[in-house]
Amino acid sequence: MINKVLKFLPISIFFLIVLIFFYLLISKNDPSKLPSVLLNKEAPKFEAYSLVNKKKFLFDKEFSEELIIVNFFSSWCIPCKTEHNFIKKLSNKKNLKVIGINYKDNENDALEWLNQLGNPYSKIAKDMKGEIAIDWGVYGIPETFIIYKKYIKYRLAGPITKKNFNAFELELNKYYND
Amino acid sequence: MIKPRLNFYIFILLIFCSLQIISLNVNSIEPEEILENKELELRARSIFKNTRCLVCQNQSIDISTAPLAKDLRKVIRKNLVIGQSDKEIYNFLTERYGDFILLNPPFKKETYFLWFFPLVVFLLGIVIFYRKTSKKF
Repeated sequence: MINKVLKFLPISIFFLIVLIFFYLLISKNDPSKLPSVLLNKEAPKFEAYSLVNKKKFLFDKEFSEELIIVNFFSSWCIPCKTEHNFIKKLSNKKNLKVIGINYKDNENDALEWLNQLGNPYSKIAKDMKGEIAIDWGVYGIPETFIIYKKYIKYRLAGPITKKNFNAFELELNKYYND
Repeated sequence: MIKPRLNFYIFILLIFCSLQIISLNVNSIEPEEILENKELELRARSIFKNTRCLVCQNQSIDISTAPLAKDLRKVIRKNLVIGQSDKEIYNFLTERYGDFILLNPPFKKETYFLWFFPLVVFLLGIVIFYRKTSKKF
């Protein structure tokens, strides 16, 4: 009896492993997408200049609102362009502030880009060296964060698209009626 | 006629194979990045070798040419210059990017399975081997 079990043990383990791999293959989890370790931690402070009016970006003032979206973008980033429409949609919502962080961009290119596509951001901080991005654990733009009462609640690595916009909105709605 | 030719091709093939090994040692550190203090530079390089590039995820930032890897190298060197210890720098990295950024996974509760599982399988193998062989005699 035990021998029989032992005989089938290797092949059943093999099929179990195949099943697990198959599940991981077809499930939507993309293993190259990293979870943010900054979830439920305070939004990292930074010093920067504003893109549009070239004055100092006052972190404490700009991050004083309850619900904020922070979007890392750049004029050279192609997915940012398609994402832009969704950022616009979000910026039309009430009681929601959208802050942009312009990542390693050329100032004139960025302004030109915003002129063409419209500026949905209430304030844009310049991150010329990409150091703010490192502090925020960003590894590839575009990335979008939901900040609630100064704490990071959600991070989306990669663009907001037709596909994930609803999921993003659901995430956002969690903090509307608190 | 054929034999020496074949040897010649094998010779050429081996040369190319050996070049491959040499090319593995090439890194993407750019000359203007290098620190003047040799001791600090050595420490920086050993940290780079253990830091994953998050863009091309199976490379270290020591060999990656991705812009983010370059930025991380800059920040790490900057922190070394202001006198941070290796541990402080690793903390800096994991606070932002998690343990995933370390190519050498740390030994802690979450990674017990990772570290002990091969040992468990090995011991199980010994037990099975012992049982199978001892039955015969």
